[in-house]
Amino acid sequence: MKKKILLVEDERALCLLYEEELGKEYDITAVTDAEAALAKLGETAFDLIITDIRMPGKNGIELITQIMGLRKDIPIIINSAYQSYKDDFMTWAADAYVVKSSSLDELKARIKQLLGE
Amino acid sequence: MMSELRKDLVSGRWVIIATERSKRPDDFRPRGAAAPAPEAVGFCPFCEGNEGKTPPEVFSLRAAGTAPDSPGWTVRVVPNKFPALNPGPPPPRATQGVFQSMEGRGVHEVVIENPDHALELSDLPVAHIREVLRVFQLRIRAIECDLHYQYVQIFKNKGKEAGASLSHPHSQIVATPIIPKRVKEEIYGADRLFRVFKECAFCRILRDEEAAGKRIIVQNGQFTAFAPYASRFPFEMTIYPKRHSAFFTDVREDELLSLAGTLKHVLTRLKETVNDPPFNMVLHQAPNPALSLKGWPDIHLKSHWHLEIIPILTKVAGFEWGTGFYINPIPPETGAQFLRGD
Repeated sequence: MKKKILLVEDERALCLLYEEELGKEYDITAVTDAEAALAKLGETAFDLIITDIRMPGKNGIELITQIMGLRKDIPIIINSAYQSYKDDFMTWAADAYVVKSSSLDELKARIKQLLGE
Repeated sequence: MMSELRKDLVSGRWVIIATERSKRPDDFRPRGAAAPAPEAVGFCPFCEGNEGKTPPEVFSLRAAGTAPDSPGWTVRVVPNKFPALNPGPPPPRATQGVFQSMEGRGVHEVVIENPDHALELSDLPVAHIREVLRVFQLRIRAIECDLHYQYVQIFKNKGKEAGASLSHPHSQIVATPIIPKRVKEEIYGADRLFRVFKECAFCRILRDEEAAGKRIIVQNGQFTAFAPYASRFPFEMTIYPKRHSAFFTDVREDELLSLAGTLKHVLTRLKETVNDPPFNMVLHQAPNPALSLKGWPDIHLKSHWHLEIIPILTKVAGFEWGTGFYINPIPPETGAQFLRGD
């Protein structure tokens, strides 16, 4: 059975790309904001979360902080276009920080590592 | 009353002491009010019990029988999880036309000062503050064993306006493969003044400050805390050791306790006088002794480690960036008077 990944990304084009690229190996559920992510987390037992930081409404750091209050055991990858958020120690709630790039190799490698594959 | 231009002896930097705009500590209180902690929703990666969310510790003071990366610690040091600089030997510098660059090599560690999220450094017992200072010494010694690291910078950002992203009390250690420009400027200034005074410029400053007395905040047999003559910022403070020493790692055991007491006193006074403002605390010391003694054989005579505490109560803006001048609306004599509680 495919492992379940929750993708939180406000750019729909990126959601489609990730679904296409990662969907061969994983069961991807894509949402475009933090509130929808929290709702999905209440419904499904995900194996991993990938989240952007800059999003309308609650940002990715606020989202992962809130997730920590619910479950600390889900691996989380921050996937942001910005390096600068690394200065925020709240990002340590995540297990990896992958800066967005035209290649998804690093993201794929981190997913495999965190899922123990 | 006219404003006054004052020159900082070592850096040569000028400051405008705008006495006609002089204010009282109360004038700064609204800005000093603590912003809501970003982690107010209940999770903090530095809190006891969340050790799994940090990289494995490189050092800790912990209860006997407790395992690394588990609860039971009193001071904990971890590498930055997402560092801007990565450990390793620095590769050669690259050039692009007139521009130089190199890969970001260095050490970046976080010192979690205590397991309790709500206990600030100034709230801790003096003996615990001494342990934090001792940990600084141990980490500097360990990092300086690697001669790639020419300078180890210890600093603390407290409060959002001071650059802290997390309110759990912590300090940071960054070691760089080059000696930073400001550190070099301080060395050059100290070197120039040594030739003039025939003694360490910082020892001379300390003697003159103690003789004048009006900028002294507190002193004991081993340390003096005062508001520098050319303070750039309201309530700026510095702590000098009375015993001349270039390297923080040379501070003796008995001196560490005395330093911890002085630090607790000035931070508590700052908290009480200016309503717990955000601040930066920076350690100034000579570069890695193994290297600096090679490059500057008598640096141990000229450099004098000290702590600098800068409350963030005013904004650095265009004039300061453009000229290097600072405008300080609180004369240091007045700041020291308030901090002494006169």
